[in-house]
Amino acid sequence: MHPSGSGAAVEAVDLHKVFGPIHAVDGIDLALRPGRIYGLLGPNGSGKTTLIRLLAGLARPTAGEARVLGTRMPSRPMLARIGYMPQAEALYPELSVAENLGFFARLEGTVSRAAMDRALELVELGERRATPAMHLSGGMRRRLSLACTLVHEPPVLFLDEPTVGVDPALRVQFWSHFRRLAGAGTTILVASHVMDEADRCDELVFVRSGKVIAQGTSAELRSGAGTTDLEAAFLHYAGLDAEGRPLETAP
Amino acid sequence: MSASRILAVARRIAQGFRRDERTLGLVFVVPIVITLLLGWVIRDSEAGDVRIAVVAAEGSPIADALRTAAEDADLAFEVTVDDVADEAEARDRVRDGEAEVAIIVAGLRGGPITVVTEGTDPSGDAARIGALQALMVRAVTTLLPPELGIAVPEFEHETVFLSADADSLDVLAPVFLGYFAYFFVFILTGISFLRERVGGTLERLLATPVTRGEIVLGYGLGFGFFATLQVLVLIGFTLIALEVPAIGPIPAFTIGLGVSSIGSPALLFLLAVLLALGAVNLGIFLSTFARTELQVIQFIPVVIVPQGLLGGIFWPIDRLPDILQPVAQVLPVTYAVDGLREVMLRGADLSSPSVQLDLAVLAGIALFFVALASRTIKREVA
Repeated sequence: MHPSGSGAAVEAVDLHKVFGPIHAVDGIDLALRPGRIYGLLGPNGSGKTTLIRLLAGLARPTAGEARVLGTRMPSRPMLARIGYMPQAEALYPELSVAENLGFFARLEGTVSRAAMDRALELVELGERRATPAMHLSGGMRRRLSLACTLVHEPPVLFLDEPTVGVDPALRVQFWSHFRRLAGAGTTILVASHVMDEADRCDELVFVRSGKVIAQGTSAELRSGAGTTDLEAAFLHYAGLDAEGRPLETAP
Repeated sequence: MSASRILAVARRIAQGFRRDERTLGLVFVVPIVITLLLGWVIRDSEAGDVRIAVVAAEGSPIADALRTAAEDADLAFEVTVDDVADEAEARDRVRDGEAEVAIIVAGLRGGPITVVTEGTDPSGDAARIGALQALMVRAVTTLLPPELGIAVPEFEHETVFLSADADSLDVLAPVFLGYFAYFFVFILTGISFLRERVGGTLERLLATPVTRGEIVLGYGLGFGFFATLQVLVLIGFTLIALEVPAIGPIPAFTIGLGVSSIGSPALLFLLAVLLALGAVNLGIFLSTFARTELQVIQFIPVVIVPQGLLGGIFWPIDRLPDILQPVAQVLPVTYAVDGLREVMLRGADLSSPSVQLDLAVLAGIALFFVALASRTIKREVA
């Protein structure tokens, strides 16, 4: 492993991914520093998930380079140091909560019972250990999926819409846990299309049509766009007016 | 390659199984019920009575002679012989189901004998006509003057393997062991792996350091474990014959088929497990070509049925048409059937070149599909 010169935990250099006629990721450069939470914001189909898959080593870039902790992705050994939470929860419905968690923990390497307990307590599923996943509510499945992602305590986390279907009280707890992890040095990239979560991130990355259209803290992005509303700021950087029409054709 | 990750995958499959009573029933109860029914049908089917309508010239002794011969002969079915006035009535009786066979004797000395049957049961007809020919010889012999000293020869039937009174169950039961294991394991792995692909868990697995080889081997181990248990239960059920005496209103019955095996059960087991391992990986491989569980089921007529027809279960391979023989030679079931029969019926052991070939081919097929199955898992890193 080569220590990265830039000190970034996660890097993308002129990253491209093409599916047939679709340019899902179109020349993205990123450098995510350790111990910070990054929000990846953009509408559905803007290339958020593809970008995360490239960074997490689940897909090979058409061109350019993705690096995690200085190692060029995809790299199988590096996967043990990455936590990836997919958009659709990938759980075994007939397995219990504890069995699902234990399975992913074993695949990531030996994980202590204490770590599994911590993960379950965090998502408040400690009382549900023996419940088969198919009998959980949608929000509980989401929480279990998060526990499976965190159980091996990886230094880099890629979370694809982690709070969908999670009730507001628990959402607050999720975010305070993310903050604790970041404080301990974990690098976190959270994809979302919910703008109200963006203020909890240290830095935001706006993507649209496979390109980064703006990057900075929430305050920087808002003042740069001359607005207090993040959604309006996104439209500004996307070159759209308040109704979502391209500015050039606006009267 | 990490043993703990392979075990984790196998354990995950076992945990899923444990909560799925329906699948457990399919794996352990259904094969026993089918084998039991098969045994019942073959062993206890009644050979139907044979009613013969005989048309002969007035005063001809042939009908009486046939009647006496039927009484003397030791036959598996009851034979009754009726004299009928004319040919038309004899034919009517056969058509109306009042007689199984009509015999129209034109003349006793060298004239043709016409035998009429209903015709929709060719194999039954063949058995009846065979028995009838023997009866006829016996009947004609009794009509000869005794001073000629001609007697009907009696055959003593001996066999090299099994016993002379072995039935088709003794020959079918060994191969059903292998075929059941193959069928169920193929379906279960195919569907289970399809769920991994469609449900997103496969993609999630590939975000962990597990290798494709570990996934495929873990599947082999997990499903192989259940296939192994299934084979053990079936071998046990086929071989034992536990007599349960009558208790109160429940009549006495037998548990197990009591099929005699002169070979090593361990070798039977090895053959069946190698076959099942091939089926696990064939299931993984073919799940690539399915989008839904229904589409996995659609592979049954393509994968399972031809092997049942051509694998030597019902018809020996060397009696198949020339064009189909090479097809039979590439089917895994063919080698399992041959090996199981060699061991169970002929008592072959590991020193037999034929059993060695069967084991080698089955192991080779299993390895080939392990490699093929892990290739079907799309991944950017091995």
